[in-house]
Amino acid sequence: MKTQKKALALAAALVISLANIAALAQQTLDRTAVPPPGPTPVLHVPTWTKTQLANGATLIVSERHGLPLVSFQITFLGGSNQFESEGKRGVASMTASMLSEGTATKTGDQLSDALQLLGTGISSGVGGEEGSLGFVSTAKNFEATLAILADEMLNSTFPADALERLRGRTLVNLTQAKDQPVVVGAQVFNKILYGNAHPYGQRTTETSVKAITREDVVAFAKAYYQPGRAIVTVVGDITPMKAKAAVEKGLAAWAKAGDKPSFDYPKLPELQPAKIYLVDKPGAAQSVFNIGLPGPPRNTPDFFALQVLNTILGGQFQSRLNANLREQKGYSYGVNSIFSYGKGPGPFRAGGSIVSAKTDAALVEFMKELKGIVGERPITDDEMKTAKDSLIQGLPQRFASVSAVSNAITSLVVQGLPDDYYHQYAKNVSAVTKEDVLRVAKQYIDLNHLAIVIVGDRSEVEAGLKATGIAPITLIDIEGNPAGN
Amino acid sequence: MTTKRRVLSALFSTLALLLAISLSQPLLGQKKSSDSIKIPFETYKLSNGLTVILSEDHTTPTVAVDIWYHVGSKNELPGRTGFAHLFEHVMFTGSGHVPYGLHDKLTEGVGGGNNGSTNNDRTNYYETIPSNYLESALWLESDRMGFLLDKLDIAKLNAQRDIVKNERRQSYDNQPYGRVSEIFSAAMYPKTHPYSWPVIGSMTDLTAASEEDVKAFFRLYYAPNNATLAVVGDFDSKQAKAWIQKYFGDLPQGKTVERPKVALGKLDASKRLVYEDRVQVPRLYIQWPTVGFKQDDDYALSVMSSILSGPRTARLTKALVYDTQMASQIGAFQNSAEDVGVFQVVVIPRPGHSLTEIEGAVDQVIQKFISEGPTADELQKAKSGLELGFIRGLESNLGTANQLINGAVFYGNPGYFSTDYQKTLAVTAADVKRVASQYLTRSRIVLSVVPKGKKDQASKATESEAVTMVVGKGGR
Repeated sequence: MKTQKKALALAAALVISLANIAALAQQTLDRTAVPPPGPTPVLHVPTWTKTQLANGATLIVSERHGLPLVSFQITFLGGSNQFESEGKRGVASMTASMLSEGTATKTGDQLSDALQLLGTGISSGVGGEEGSLGFVSTAKNFEATLAILADEMLNSTFPADALERLRGRTLVNLTQAKDQPVVVGAQVFNKILYGNAHPYGQRTTETSVKAITREDVVAFAKAYYQPGRAIVTVVGDITPMKAKAAVEKGLAAWAKAGDKPSFDYPKLPELQPAKIYLVDKPGAAQSVFNIGLPGPPRNTPDFFALQVLNTILGGQFQSRLNANLREQKGYSYGVNSIFSYGKGPGPFRAGGSIVSAKTDAALVEFMKELKGIVGERPITDDEMKTAKDSLIQGLPQRFASVSAVSNAITSLVVQGLPDDYYHQYAKNVSAVTKEDVLRVAKQYIDLNHLAIVIVGDRSEVEAGLKATGIAPITLIDIEGNPAGN
Repeated sequence: MTTKRRVLSALFSTLALLLAISLSQPLLGQKKSSDSIKIPFETYKLSNGLTVILSEDHTTPTVAVDIWYHVGSKNELPGRTGFAHLFEHVMFTGSGHVPYGLHDKLTEGVGGGNNGSTNNDRTNYYETIPSNYLESALWLESDRMGFLLDKLDIAKLNAQRDIVKNERRQSYDNQPYGRVSEIFSAAMYPKTHPYSWPVIGSMTDLTAASEEDVKAFFRLYYAPNNATLAVVGDFDSKQAKAWIQKYFGDLPQGKTVERPKVALGKLDASKRLVYEDRVQVPRLYIQWPTVGFKQDDDYALSVMSSILSGPRTARLTKALVYDTQMASQIGAFQNSAEDVGVFQVVVIPRPGHSLTEIEGAVDQVIQKFISEGPTADELQKAKSGLELGFIRGLESNLGTANQLINGAVFYGNPGYFSTDYQKTLAVTAADVKRVASQYLTRSRIVLSVVPKGKKDQASKATESEAVTMVVGKGGR
């Protein structure tokens, strides 16, 4: 079509006068010309106030008045890794669920009915290194919803029968998870990387869930939900003054207590030479890959270089991994890579689900791309530019809703980052050089010590994997323990 | 971070719904300030029939460009299923003037995103971009609407075919309970019924699609007169109109698309099915044929679903998860498409409780509900979250765009969201009681999914017929 159009234009030029050519060119759209972008929009980073409540909690308020919405969140520093013992894994999440089961003055049903009438719900959870309680409500229902949240946080009665019900549900969930190759792969990967002694290698198990008592839950709640480690974030259609007054009133009974936890982790197990860990899943249509090793914490000075690195390697659709394994080879519906930063050495992981018949071929390609990024295939100027553009120009998306703004601001406090982090973001990303990227690639993607975890049909994939000669194969079960033949 | 792009939105994917319900309370608000139920927009048609909707919102310096083609899996023919969705993938492989890869570069590569989705009724494509990249996004969409076939060859088609087969493996075949939606579609409708096959299609049909099949499909359905374009976010309408005219204005109008005449689902007799899956925990599914979302009973059926399941005081949830605790989780949904709908209940049992026992308990709750209908309080709770849910939807440019296009495509009115909202508010207790007795007493399908070799775990096992599905490992 393109060439046809040019030929037409040429023929026309022969029979019409020069004066008409200009007019014709105006009518004929040159579709091959890529429209250039307009001027870069001014980055608008939300502003916020940060004060301290009398009980020691940090209060952050950011105004956003476009829609009549308010996001409220209390974030607690430290999570299950800091507050759970190995034998009682799961108590944090169990406690978070128990908050809504009844308070000194209201049953669980009454709490639920009240929230339904307010048109909202309270979310409650504890992750590895932080936990939260929060909601998004209409502006007019903000204070009434906050009153219910405060009641749940401060006056829960933790009824024993509710614990048994939640325990039963959790056990069913754990059983179902065993049938999910993706879940099994992630769990086994963490266990191989971090071992049993490191919190990153531990997880909630049937045994730990069965060991949790009501006393454990009460003790966890008492130790955990304290203002000394809390950040209260209010974002939306409300002024800082009104927000502060509402929070002081709503949380008046929340007495000063608690400290910020320390995030000391035990030493990592010694890195093992690269190895394939194969979990047999008879009849599986795909093999689930997790390849990687422990990485740096969030406060690494290499953060920006690593972000650029990962964007090039596996953070986007046209990143090297997906462009090769999905788009060129057709082995998968999608593969990617990620550095999961935390206070400790979160993992670097590359992976995805691969059609069983191409398991060996896919491993070869994964390794080719990892070798490429650590030096065999130099990073191009174009890759650098695209990665940086996407990171820098994607920043406004982080401020696109009240809850997004809340997370964007709160995460600065949680991770100990400066208040002007977003203002400096473009400068910091721009400063990354190709040499930086290569250096961090070599430093953090250690090819000699990769754990290659594959969950798939052993009878179909083992011989091929062996034939690649990439690494020796160890058979393990879905718990990550050595499996017999 | 996800690379699960070009996903398929299966209308009948109950697992996702069930999990979503279990993670959060429904979004519910009692006072209806109709003020907040507003989206400013303007709409017009180009001379080639392309419907355009513009809605400015300058909160964030980003724009969503969203196009829906009114074609989905129901426009396919038996033996050629999976076509609409395969085609969605092909749309990302470059077009006449856009080399492969540039689409991603001008969206994801500049801090935005892109994707597409296919369901029974429609296929959509979108770009979310920094606002200074609007013109290039319009150029990209216009080029694949007008010039896709210039660059399409069998090699490209085959590459996407392999990827779609992997999508099928990942989302259905290698997924516990992943075959349920297909089993229901096949059992609910006769073989030639346009909703009887899965949106993703069968491995055999995907293999059989020829280059010419694909091209003919494009010529008929991907014409401006079968498409609706919305631009929502931080842009200037006057400028956007000029660009839309520039890039889309000269694309030729296509033939008028005939809409298939689709009969509602209807079962002559109830069916009891059992499917053995690679799972350890069995599940019970019950499905009744109802109506599509264009029929008014859909509103009462949706309200009924919020009264039956979700929050802990909802009827089925309270009875099975809280009081008797025979279930770990339960969900009830009105799943409706343009022409048909089903009401579905799904239950995950606790150990020690048979699916037969659970089916009996579900029926008991439903019988009681049919005879007494909802209380005023239940009705109010079910509607209370509407306002918040609606307003939160407006926080995203893409959410707003989808809301407006949905109205334009299915009701001929981008402002239909307001009618939709009012119709839900207008549902009465009598309406809910009537739809309960009208639809939940019909012939139905009961499906037990059980562990391999454990057919005896099915509800009323001796009366249940085994379903065998072709194992989807597929060949390459």
